[in-house]
Parts: sequence; structure tokens; C-alpha cells
Amino acid sequence: METVDVDERVAGVLSEVLQLPATKITDDLAMQDLEAWDSLKHMELIVSLEETFGQQFTFDEIVAMRSVREIKRVLRAKDAQG
Amino acid sequence: MELRDKKVIVTGGARGLGRSMVDQLVARAATVAVFDLDARGLVELSAQQPDVHCVECDISDYDQVVAATARYHEQYGAADVLVNNAGILYSAPLVRLGPNGLERHDVAMWHKVLAADLSSVFYMTACVVEQMIATRTRGVVVNISSVSAGGNAGQSAYSAAKAGVNALTATWAKELSMMGIRVVAVAPGFTETESTKEALSETVLRETVKRVPVRRLGKPEEIAAGVIAVLENDFFNGKVFELDGGLII
Repeated sequence: METVDVDERVAGVLSEVLQLPATKITDDLAMQDLEAWDSLKHMELIVSLEETFGQQFTFDEIVAMRSVREIKRVLRAKDAQG
Repeated sequence: MELRDKKVIVTGGARGLGRSMVDQLVARAATVAVFDLDARGLVELSAQQPDVHCVECDISDYDQVVAATARYHEQYGAADVLVNNAGILYSAPLVRLGPNGLERHDVAMWHKVLAADLSSVFYMTACVVEQMIATRTRGVVVNISSVSAGGNAGQSAYSAAKAGVNALTATWAKELSMMGIRVVAVAPGFTETESTKEALSETVLRETVKRVPVRRLGKPEEIAAGVIAVLENDFFNGKVFELDGGLII
């Protein structure tokens, strides 16, 4: 998976689920910084990411994916595993 | 959901409606565990259905639920299905005319019914669904409600508890569906069980039957068949399946 491709698709999913302009989706954006990104929204985000990337995340990954940076890290790690 | 080899927890499965559900689930080769307060009933169940895992537990006590579900999860892993069936049936009006004048509804019974019929559902579901989510299990929760949820004269506590169960069913379906967990309810009308006979006098029961268009009480196996139906139909979600012979309260 190309880095740019992952970045764009992650930004697209987050933008749609969290109702944020794509320009606000930076790597530093984290669940704790955004009121709208609560635990229910997090699960919606996870399901959307699973559908977009054709992956299923483990519970530990779901817990870890609480920032854009961590979301991308988990996706790349899964991609590397094949 | 195909029930073969699925891990199913039924609360209050030692007797009555719950026992019928257990029998039908076992007949479909599900792996059934029963959580029940009734120690004697569990001994009888164990003798008749030796493959059923019996857990003695007061599910209106949160600490007992936490401990019992933790032991279950350690042994079996996450359940695929939770049937919240246990509860008590209690009938009393808000205010009644007693031998010494007007008497208010017993407050201790109000709390007891809410604990047994509503809080227990919340406790069990929280503990079981937590494990479903943690293991990404696509499960089903079936809440046994009642036609009394619509408001039944003479059943303040029971009606309130069952209305609460319906509200939780809709709420949890909205919260959990995205994780692949369905939440549904089955609402029986008046049914031929010991608890119905204990809670309602013969006269009241006779009058009730007259109001049921099919002119009879429901049978436990008919309610259990309703539970099986909502489990097997993956498109049924967040709704209450009313099985009441056409009765409208």
C-alpha cells in the first residue's frame, strides 16, 4: 500500500465520519482532542476503516487507534503482514 | 444465525419459559449455559440436560454477575448469544383499598422488581457484550420483555421494568449493530407458566383469557420458538417481537 494512498483514504474516512474538513485531519489529531470523537464514533470509524481497507482489526488494535498517526501505523503494520 | 455449536447463555433457564428455550436451543445443538438463582431447579435441569452448564447466580446483584460471567468467559470465551429471560412477575396497583383504607404500592417490591427485571438485564448485557466486543464476536442479545411494557393496570413495577427493557433493546441495537451485535426483544402475552399462576388470581386469569382473541394462554414452547425465530433471522434488529395471541392491553 502506498503511503500517500493510505494517508488520503484515512483522511477521507475520518473526514466523513467525524464531519471534519480534510485539512483538519493531521497526524496529531487524537480522540482526546475532539469532542465528537467519542467511543461510539470511534467504533463507527473502525467499521468504516475496516470496510475501506478490507481489514478486520483486533480489539488491541482498536484500542491503539486513537489518533490519526496510530491509525496509519496499524494499517501499515497490517499491510506489511500481508 | 445458525445456532449449531453457538455458545448461548440463558438467564432464568431452570424453569418456565427459560427452560423451554433451553430445550429448543439444545435440540439445535447449541452449547447452552444457564444462569439462575434457583439451585433446586438447576439440579433438576442438570439431571435432564446434562450438557447444559449450570451457574447459580443472583443476576440482580452486580458483583455476582461480574464474577459469574468472568468465570464463564474464562472457560468458554465470549458467548455468541445472551437471552435475558430471568425476572419476576409481580402485580399490584399504585394505590389500593385495603382493610385499613388506602395503601400505597410496596416500595420494597418496586425496587425488587426493577432490580430483577431491569437492572439484571443491564448487568448481564454489559458483562457479556463487553467480551463480545473484545473478541469481535458477532453476537445476539435477546431480551424477554412483555406485553405489559405498554402499560398494564395493576402492574406498575413490572410494566415499568419491561418498558425499560424495550428502551434498552432499541438503544443497544443502535449502539452495537455497527459491531455486528444484534439486540432484539420478544414480548410474550399471558403464558402458561408457574409464575403467571402465582402472580394472577384464577378470576383475573379467566378474564384475561377472554380478552385474548385466540381465547387461550400462550404455551412456553411457542414463546421459545419465537426466541429461536429472532435468533435465526439476521435482519431482525432493535425491535420487539410480540407473541400475545392478538391481545392488546
